[in-house]
Amino acid sequence: MAFYDGLFDSLGLREWCDTSEAGGPMTMEQLLAQSRGEDADAAGSELLPFPSLDNLHASCGEVPPTRDLTSGVEQLFLDVKDGLKIVLDPLTQPLSWMLDGALFLFTTLPWWLIIPLLIWLTWYVSRSRGVTAFVAITFLFLSFIDHYEAAIQTLAIIFVCTGLCVALGVPIGILMSKNNTLQRIIIPILDLLQTLPSFVYLIPLIFLFSVTESKLYGIAIILYAIVPVIRLTDLGIRLVDKDVIEAANAFGMTARQKLFGVEIPLALPNIMAGVNQTIMMSLAMVVIASLVSAPGLGVLVLRGIRNLELGVGLIAGLGIVLLAVVLDRASKAALARVNLAHDNR
Amino acid sequence: MKSMQTKIAAAAATIFLASGGAASAECGEVTITEMDWASSAVVTAVAKFLMEEGYGCDVTTFPSSTNPAITSVAETGTPDILTELWVNTAPGYPELRDAGSINPLTSVLSDGGEEGWWIPQYLADAHPELTTLEGVLANAELLGGRFHNCPDGWACRIVNDNLAEAVDLEGAGFEIFNHGSGETLATSIAAAYESEEPWIGYYWAPTSILGQYPMVMVDMGDFDADVHACNTDPDCAEPAVSPYPVADVLTVVTTTFADREPDVAELMTNISFTNAQMGALLAWQEEENASAEEAAVHFLTTYSDVWAAWLNDEARENLSALIQ
Repeated sequence: MAFYDGLFDSLGLREWCDTSEAGGPMTMEQLLAQSRGEDADAAGSELLPFPSLDNLHASCGEVPPTRDLTSGVEQLFLDVKDGLKIVLDPLTQPLSWMLDGALFLFTTLPWWLIIPLLIWLTWYVSRSRGVTAFVAITFLFLSFIDHYEAAIQTLAIIFVCTGLCVALGVPIGILMSKNNTLQRIIIPILDLLQTLPSFVYLIPLIFLFSVTESKLYGIAIILYAIVPVIRLTDLGIRLVDKDVIEAANAFGMTARQKLFGVEIPLALPNIMAGVNQTIMMSLAMVVIASLVSAPGLGVLVLRGIRNLELGVGLIAGLGIVLLAVVLDRASKAALARVNLAHDNR
Repeated sequence: MKSMQTKIAAAAATIFLASGGAASAECGEVTITEMDWASSAVVTAVAKFLMEEGYGCDVTTFPSSTNPAITSVAETGTPDILTELWVNTAPGYPELRDAGSINPLTSVLSDGGEEGWWIPQYLADAHPELTTLEGVLANAELLGGRFHNCPDGWACRIVNDNLAEAVDLEGAGFEIFNHGSGETLATSIAAAYESEEPWIGYYWAPTSILGQYPMVMVDMGDFDADVHACNTDPDCAEPAVSPYPVADVLTVVTTTFADREPDVAELMTNISFTNAQMGALLAWQEEENASAEEAAVHFLTTYSDVWAAWLNDEARENLSALIQ
């Protein structure tokens, strides 16, 4: 007999318990016991088994086993899924269009247009000869080893996702800095997003949206990468010198004037540091996004892993590292310019 | 009785098993792979039980997949047993076999693996013409206009790309969608089934997916070995149409293991499932929401006549309590 039988008997719950049979497929322990001709329950019994759902279920059929808990969670999710889908599907549809559009644009424009454009863009944001030369060499190198298309697809995805992260993250950060309650609510969510293994939120996403939609990986990347820009915007605005705010108040500035004229400019170095981190983190998601059909360098890394084609994997990995260094240097150079502008003020 | 902690991959939790109770002490430590798909996990669990209880082995399972397992054997000579090895997806296999370091024992799936392009049963019922390649090409709109292709790095990806080129699939109105992983490929089938939407793409049997969602294979005519050989080459000059051959799905042991444990090697030679058996087993597992281990238990309790024939006399004696 199972260990907790006595407990249910003494509580007078035996009748209630026996209304449903303790069921479920036979376990390996039971089979082993049967093959050795031992009593099934005695074989598995310890001195005092933890009163877990499964152990209680063995004594009382009415107590659901843990299996029912997981299938209950699954059922709950499947039940709310359709409702969620009606709301979330149209809401996130623009993301699919943006990703598809960016991928189409980047892959159909010829290389002799894209590469100079990227070099010019780097020069525009960084005004640094070294960084611009580095970007030029990187893209020429990647093109030279025939990784241009994969790299440019990855870059298109990063651009769209970090663009959206900044567009969504900065306002959320500003709201958080103005409202302590909101900050208390959002910070645990940010912690959760940052620590949750990426696969865990890919699972509900796969159920919610068609797996052939590009927003699937878009959402996965954005959820992961949006965290630093929100955090650092919040921090940056909270760190603005109280004396400066006081002075702004003394001048009779409105809240809007204070925000755009004082707080955001003073918080800009922090916000830019957040943007830099967001870019890095979205690049970190590239390989995982490829598991849900994102094109680009991640696909090659996955192929390298699957077939143990060490060279393919390493070269694609090197490509991702190069892109990361390029994006990091370019955004850091832009950050340095922002800081310089501050110091000169 | 000694206790050994055994890690069972993913679904099953860590459990405590007592091993080597009744059996003879001849058999030592055995390592066996557990590949990362459903049927392999069941085969491994069944084999592990029979080896431990029937032959008194000390079995360790290694969660793995085809190529890492093959490479591990090539480099280190372990694990001892590779089960459910799909030879067509293991490029390193012929080399190892020819070098004599591994020893193919048997086809663990006796009917072999079926690969190909599939459509859901309900679609085949409604439009019988879709079960042939000509019908598929003529009716892109009935099939949703999207072909679900293998992820990059799978052997079937190269073949599918060549087949698609040979029949001009895109010209026939299909968008070729390259999945990122086997999981999204499987999910797309499940999602299509849920709302009875059209679906066409690559899959293989026996799998729990095809056990749960009945599919019909698209008829591509007769198998042509030369054409298929060309189709497996990414640089194939003239891709043409040929269905996939029936895939060899083998149990392989290292040669040193076969010498060391001839009894166990003989057992592994006998362990073999028909596609119907495996399909039914996987469908049961899916239905009961059970783990691979519980599916193995279901097999061991339900089909004792099948597995009793795999054992030698001594092992049959050890397991007599379970044989009806």
